[in-house]
Amino acid sequence: MIELKENELHFHFPEIHEAARCSIGFQRTLRIPDDDRTWFLPPGLGEFPLRHLDDYATLLPDGWRRRGGVIMPMHQAEALWINFTASGYPFAVKVATGKICAITGEAWVDHLNRDPQDYVVVPEQPWLDGYCVEKGVIRQFVAMPLGEGYSVEEQLTGAALHGGLQIVAYPMKRERHEALRALREHCADYLNAPAMMVADAQPQAMGLAPGGRMKQEIYDDPYGLDAWDQRHGSRCFVTIANSRQWMAITGECPPTEPPTAKQYTEEGLPWFDYYGGDAEAVAGSATLKGLASVAQMGDEKGEIPLPENETPLAPHVIGLRAKGSHRVREFHE
Amino acid sequence: MNHFGDVVRERRERLRRQDRRYSLRQVAQRIGLEPAYLSKIERSEAAPPSEAATVRLAGELGEDPDVLLALAGKVSRDLQDIIRKRPRLFAELIRQLKDAPDHAVLRVVREVRDGDW
Repeated sequence: MIELKENELHFHFPEIHEAARCSIGFQRTLRIPDDDRTWFLPPGLGEFPLRHLDDYATLLPDGWRRRGGVIMPMHQAEALWINFTASGYPFAVKVATGKICAITGEAWVDHLNRDPQDYVVVPEQPWLDGYCVEKGVIRQFVAMPLGEGYSVEEQLTGAALHGGLQIVAYPMKRERHEALRALREHCADYLNAPAMMVADAQPQAMGLAPGGRMKQEIYDDPYGLDAWDQRHGSRCFVTIANSRQWMAITGECPPTEPPTAKQYTEEGLPWFDYYGGDAEAVAGSATLKGLASVAQMGDEKGEIPLPENETPLAPHVIGLRAKGSHRVREFHE
Repeated sequence: MNHFGDVVRERRERLRRQDRRYSLRQVAQRIGLEPAYLSKIERSEAAPPSEAATVRLAGELGEDPDVLLALAGKVSRDLQDIIRKRPRLFAELIRQLKDAPDHAVLRVVREVRDGDW
């Protein structure tokens, strides 16, 4: 089952194991420059608000109501990253935007695939910032209005039907977890393991599109497909509403727009680099690599979709490691 | 029934055996209490601290804040606000569920609905 607590989705499977819990949140962040460079990890600037979509059902179109799930506001051209938290019980988590897998670029299916791997393993994978375009490189998730052609969904299918984010989480099979735990209890490294405006207009759906390039590895599944209990998954559709309409839908102010990468860097504030130890990274998706980034498509269309896409100079980078340190990359204003 | 002070002391001492930063003095400093006051609380010679201090103490000791507040004979302000907004509804709900087993209570926890997509 999934509960919504303090702007995070809490997945838990008491029917599998008391410890089978993980949570997923969506972090506000800087939009990295969409240029030819490969950037370090930008900070988290606090969580996007999440609300039960059903609470605002009378204000929303039928298509949105049918999906269920939660609703979240984003400014046009705003970026996000996904934060995974699990205390030690492993999960396989699939993430899609517009029902296109963010790891492989394939159309959404509920089940997991291994070749190529279309999911991340939590807690080994602490974050996901975008689409896996090359081994060790992602293109940042950037919100764009659905229907303008920028989203991954529109670039690959030619249709603007879904938008938003789709997630399914599968816990590890109980017996595999018990065996793994027994093994770890005999291993000295165990203690150091990574812990693990709707009033007069239809709400405008937002989709996610590929932004700037970022250094981030998507880790290969060290357990194998057979480790995951695919009879017990929980799914959630995250509808993204344009932040201008968020207040009309929910009565709440949306978060302010984040600073630009240039402003942030000029204040001497940190970027991050993550070293995941010996974990292997999966290859990037040729399908996703072949897509135009938002800036590239803007050039083709003669539009300027990303205001203030300037390159900051000399970012201050803090290294984070999987073992022996906490993995906080948030910087609250 | 567990006593607030006993639970705090037992938990803190257990943590201190692994990490010296959990001495009474250091924990008191981190949560903004005088060490002598925390010592009295642990020995049940003083009443539990304020809600805010109890929540900070729970965070420090890795305990659930609602559990520690309940041991202190308190209910968190946000829960009070929820009940005050719809007192009849929530009073009835809590009375109906007071003897229900945990799994039955969990069944009324609101799930994020998965729809057709």
